Amino acid sequence: MIDDKKPAAPVHHVYDGIIEEDNHLPNWWLAILFGTIVFGFGYWLVYQTTEVLPNPVAAYKLDAAAEAKLHPETAPMTNDALVALVDDPALVAAGKESYATTCVACHRQNGEGLVGPNLTDAVWIHGGKPTDIHAAISNGFPEKGMPPWGKTLGPTKVRAITAFVLTLKGKNLPGKEPQGQPE
Amino acid sequence: MTQLSSVRPDGSRVPIFPSDVRGRFITSRRVVFAALIGIYLASPLVTIGGHPAVQLDVEHRRFYLFGSTFNSQDFWIVLFLATGFAFSLLFVTAWRGRLWCGWACPQTVFLEGLYRPIERLFDGSREKRLKLAGSPWTAGRVLRLVGKHATWFAISLFISHAALSLFVSTHDLIEMVRQGPANSPLAFSWALGVTALLHFNFTWFREQFCVVICPYGRMQSLLHDAHSVVIGYDVRRGEPRGHLKKDGPKLGDCIDCKLCVTACPTAIDIRNGLQMECIACAQCVDACDEVMDKVHRPRGLIRYAAQSAFDGKTVQKVRPRLVLYAVLTLACFAALAVTMSQRKAFEANVLRLAGVPWVLEGTSVRNQFEVHLVNKSPHPAQLRVAVTSPVPAEIRIAEAEVTLKSFEDRRVQVVVTIEKAALRPGLDLQVTVDDLTSGGQRVKGLSFLFPKGP
Repeated sequence: MIDDKKPAAPVHHVYDGIIEEDNHLPNWWLAILFGTIVFGFGYWLVYQTTEVLPNPVAAYKLDAAAEAKLHPETAPMTNDALVALVDDPALVAAGKESYATTCVACHRQNGEGLVGPNLTDAVWIHGGKPTDIHAAISNGFPEKGMPPWGKTLGPTKVRAITAFVLTLKGKNLPGKEPQGQPE
Repeated sequence: MTQLSSVRPDGSRVPIFPSDVRGRFITSRRVVFAALIGIYLASPLVTIGGHPAVQLDVEHRRFYLFGSTFNSQDFWIVLFLATGFAFSLLFVTAWRGRLWCGWACPQTVFLEGLYRPIERLFDGSREKRLKLAGSPWTAGRVLRLVGKHATWFAISLFISHAALSLFVSTHDLIEMVRQGPANSPLAFSWALGVTALLHFNFTWFREQFCVVICPYGRMQSLLHDAHSVVIGYDVRRGEPRGHLKKDGPKLGDCIDCKLCVTACPTAIDIRNGLQMECIACAQCVDACDEVMDKVHRPRGLIRYAAQSAFDGKTVQKVRPRLVLYAVLTLACFAALAVTMSQRKAFEANVLRLAGVPWVLEGTSVRNQFEVHLVNKSPHPAQLRVAVTSPVPAEIRIAEAEVTLKSFEDRRVQVVVTIEKAALRPGLDLQVTVDDLTSGGQRVKGLSFLFPKGP
């Protein structure tokens, strides 16, 4: 609606009786505009150029390093560390539970083997050292049907399953015929 | 209009001191405000089936809505809800104008239902507030200001905590408050941030939100047409306006008392016609009706009516845009209803194991996959997995029956071995999952993979 009053701001153009004016923007709006420009410059100065504070990538790396320290199970495994896990009954129990949902379809309830090899005998296809077992669970042997479980289950569960499988070692249950070489 | 009524030519804000109004619309609106605030406060408090009526547990992706439970996999249903609401808003706007803004928008509900009455309580009527604004900073004025802002802040704190309880449940919120901010810094910063935002918005920013920020407000000229019912001034009846004089010339019904202008929370003069800033709060209607009663003229000089009615033309009640918006609204809500009625209390998805399409084993071929089960019901559920093959096959299921707690999930391993002689192209396995608790069933197909050649 066109007012009789004189326009307060310069008229940009008129088209079909519709006036485009150049009114002053609300001051609070302009404050936000200039405020963000100042903030952006400050951010660039603090995080990107002088790096007085660590920039987001560096801060993430610092946080990730601190997080890794809090979770030693993600660190590379050694034979001794894995063998020590067997003495933790809670961990072995957790491993047994994960084994029951993940591994039994191929390796049977007590590791006597079915589709997959017998885990209780003295011979191993891919090595029987604790680190070998851990690597087999984590990375799998897809070409033979053993899926890589590391990503799906996460480091804690893989570690627990390794501990449980280590308790099966040497039980020599009747099941799948022995495959592979002695450890 | 050549410029916003709440911004001066130099860009500074025009302070608004809306006058008190009495009348049928402000009374009804207050009832609606109270009801809406009641619903808002009740939704996290009322429990249905052991859970709050509304709890959006974003952290754990568990959503409780009026006795139903949802997880993040159900998010697609929000499409129907959101589009249904959007189209119904379009429909209401084209039919009855900005009813939403004046009657139901949280900005109006909290501002006119809580914050403005508190200001009225501390600072008095429009005249007193205007006088106060120009008065020197005496101890009394400072005390009023502090008291007003302290009350506002308490209200802002309360509203923000009510909002937070929609996400973390009232019980957990009380526990968090008892344990102090150090134990739940994230929730605490949300509560404080939202409080600050509410306080800023409702005590200072106010109508600027509707006028400058709200996208719905800026779309009005597209949604209205001449037949939409809006709040308008009857130019033909009111003009020429002028003060009542005993023996002056005969004038229109508008006595130019400007009460419609002072009553306006966005400071517009409705007599200039429908404007972008108008939130259709009807305060000018109430103000004008009261004056018309006093001067013994019929009410409705300013009223809810279509522009075509004000122009003396016939009002077209059924218009293509109304039909279109109504059909789209109904379609969205119908889709929502169908989706909800077809919804099953559990998810079942069949996934092949990574990197293992098939395994050759002597004279047979092996396929390995897992059935991912999620119990989405609020109760434990017993699920049974069955796999069938059209040809003789050895089928091993790690756990054919599992009991899952509410929102628990499980990956059930399945190994299927078929003799090479029995293989043929297009061999499909069928995975059936039965919910023994709720009686639901899901059936998934999976083609058996094997290498070509002998």
